[in-house]
Order: sequence, then C-alpha cells, then structure tokens
Amino acid sequence: MAHPIRILTVDDHALLRGGLTAVISTQPDMELVGEASNGREAIQQFRTLRPDVTLMDIQMPGVDGIEALIAIRAEFPDARVVVLTTYKGDVQAMRALKAGAQAYLLKGSLQKELLDTIRDVHAGRKRIGQEVAEELAGHVSDDALSAREVDVLKLIAEGNSNKLVADRLSISEDTVKGHVKNILSKLGANDRTHAVTIGLKRGIIVV
Amino acid sequence: MSQPEPIRVFSVDDQPLIRGGIAALINDEPDMRMIAQASNGREAIQAFRQHRPDVTLMDVRLPDISGIEAMIAIRREFPDARIVMLTTFEGDVEIRGALAAGARGYVLKHIPPGELAGVIRRVHGGKKQIPADVAARLAEHVSDEPLSERELTVLDRVAEGRRNREIGELLGISEDTVKGHVRHIMEKLGVHDRTQAVAIAVRRGIIRL
Repeated sequence: MAHPIRILTVDDHALLRGGLTAVISTQPDMELVGEASNGREAIQQFRTLRPDVTLMDIQMPGVDGIEALIAIRAEFPDARVVVLTTYKGDVQAMRALKAGAQAYLLKGSLQKELLDTIRDVHAGRKRIGQEVAEELAGHVSDDALSAREVDVLKLIAEGNSNKLVADRLSISEDTVKGHVKNILSKLGANDRTHAVTIGLKRGIIVV
Repeated sequence: MSQPEPIRVFSVDDQPLIRGGIAALINDEPDMRMIAQASNGREAIQAFRQHRPDVTLMDVRLPDISGIEAMIAIRREFPDARIVMLTTFEGDVEIRGALAAGARGYVLKHIPPGELAGVIRRVHGGKKQIPADVAARLAEHVSDEPLSERELTVLDRVAEGRRNREIGELLGISEDTVKGHVRHIMEKLGVHDRTQAVAIAVRRGIIRL
C-alpha cells in the first residue's frame, strides 16, 4: 500500500483541531503527523515534519495563516496547503490563492468535501469550494484596492476625518480625497460609511 | 455504590468539524456522553424536545435562527434547560443578550478542551460559568446605555450608506429626528463619526452585516 498522506493541522481552536483529528483518523490513507495553534508554530512544525498536506486556518493570533503560508512556501515551494477558514469574503480567498494555497475551503464544508480536497491537493490538483468560487466570480472583474487605499479605508473605519487620515499617512488632504473617491468607485459604495461596511463584508478590512 | 449516570451532552453547531471535536472531547471523559447533535436552530429545538439533554452547547451564529433565539424557545418550554453558549464571537452585546436570555455559561471556541469539560460539569451541577476573558469583555461596557430599537434601525441604514434625508423618508420621520438619533448613537458608542459608529457596532455585535 502507498504511504498514507501525512497531514499537519493549524488552527488556534483546539476543538476544531480535535474535529480534524477525528475525521482524519477514520481514513486509512491519511495520517495526522502534527498540530499547531498559530502561524509561528506552523512554520516550525512544517520544517520539522515536512507534511504532505497542511490544513491552515487564516485568523490566528500573532502570525496569521496567510503569512505562515507565504513563509512556508518561500522555503518549501512545493508545500501543499489547504486554507480552511470561516471567511466567505472574496478578498481573503484571493489573498490565500495568490500566496500559493492549493485549496480554499470553508470550515462549514462537509466531511466528504474536506477529504476529497486533501486527496486532490495531495495529487497536485487545486480546489476551491463552490461557495467561495461564487464569491470570487462575483468580483472577478473588480479593480482591487491598492495597498494605500486599504490603509485609507482602515483609518476611515477608525473614525478619522480626511484631514486626520492625511496627517497619519503624511500625505495631503486632497490626495486622501482622491483615494476615497477611488475606493467608493471600486467598491460601488454610496459613501464612506458604506465603503467600510462593504470592506468588512468582503474581508478587505477587519475590525 | 453504582456509578452516577453520565452527563448527557447535546451539541449545536453548523460546523461539522467543531461538532466532531466536541464529540471526541466528550467521549474521552468517563462521566459524560454526547447524545445528540444539531446543525441549526430549528433542529436544535426539535432535538432538545426529543432527547432532553442535561447540558446543551449552543453556537451563537447558526444559519437559520440565532443560537440565542433557539435558546429562548427551548427555555420557554423547558425553563430548567442548562445551555452554554459556545462561540467564536466575543462582542459584548451578544454575550449580554445570551446571559439575559438565561444562558448558564458563555465560552469562546478557543477554550482548551480540558476546560470545556470542567464548564460542562459545573453547569450540570447548577453553577453559572463565565470565563475571565468573556467577563472582561462584558465589564468594559457594563455601564453603557444600550441603543434603542429605533437607533438600531437607523444604524442599519447608515451602514448601507444612506443619507439622513433618505433614512428619514424610509422610516417616515424628519431629517432632524434622524440627525438626533445619529447624534445619540455616536454618544452612546463613544465615536467621532457615523463611519466609526458602524465599525464599532460590527465589532461589538450590535449590528451584523
């Protein structure tokens, strides 16, 4: 028999890792080789264990899952990582896929979908859950916000006026106004408050 | 002397992985047993009637009705139901809502598994359980005046990017009245502007997107 697929799970919720362990332990062709509860641990564990497939949460204290993914793939370009998250927003999914995730799956997915995804990714295929694919498709033609525009949107969400945003970023108030205008148009927002709402919903910013 | 009956635990969560993790944890404990699971609020109410569990672990966010609504429905029929909210969500408003509706405990999903077993035992024994991190979150806003129903409605519209005049037309009130509501909302939340009001309200669980 072929070697079992060696799996590393990364999630700050021990209960969720417990659920993954329970599912994996029922599969004769899979073996759980390690667990990590944050991004930093994930990078260390990956170096030591060299798992075939890593199941990685996004939102974790300290180094988040996408940062860990980037660090791991910089060292091990063939690393196969499934991002497993509660985030439905298209922007997080896009970030993960750009960072080199082979799959992006929601934690609410059925067990069968999870197991199929692990096997597919191990075999070198990519997978994106249907719900996430629909989110991505819905925004595929959108012009993404620039890093600067995301900074501006974060500061707006904190209640800063254009003038304060300008001070914080050391740019002119007119430049901030220009950024805000572009943000509204890219997000299809009625006003700056609506832009923050859309930004939160799509995972562009978090509060 | 015979062994006491094991604590019969019921788990409500829309994520099968979390239910699996809870089941694995419970079944490792000699004094408790997982007797049923449900993945949404309506199922939870039916399954509760059928199984009469000793302790229920209920997620706050479920796909149909909220976990708090499901708890209220269950406790209307079974006032002694011992329900612990188990959630990723730490907004003080939902915590307060859950406790006011009769939750015996409120714990976050990143709780170490061993501690969760302890919470189940203590709640089964008739005690209330609010871990320190949740209590701290609650204490931060304990003296805040809550938003009124009308203010919540206005805030929902503000989040959609509507102007005061538009909101007035939608709700059949004057623009000045809307302005007054927005001013009160900002005061109660301690924020500088309407945009920050929305961001803070989302974080605290006052409104949902």
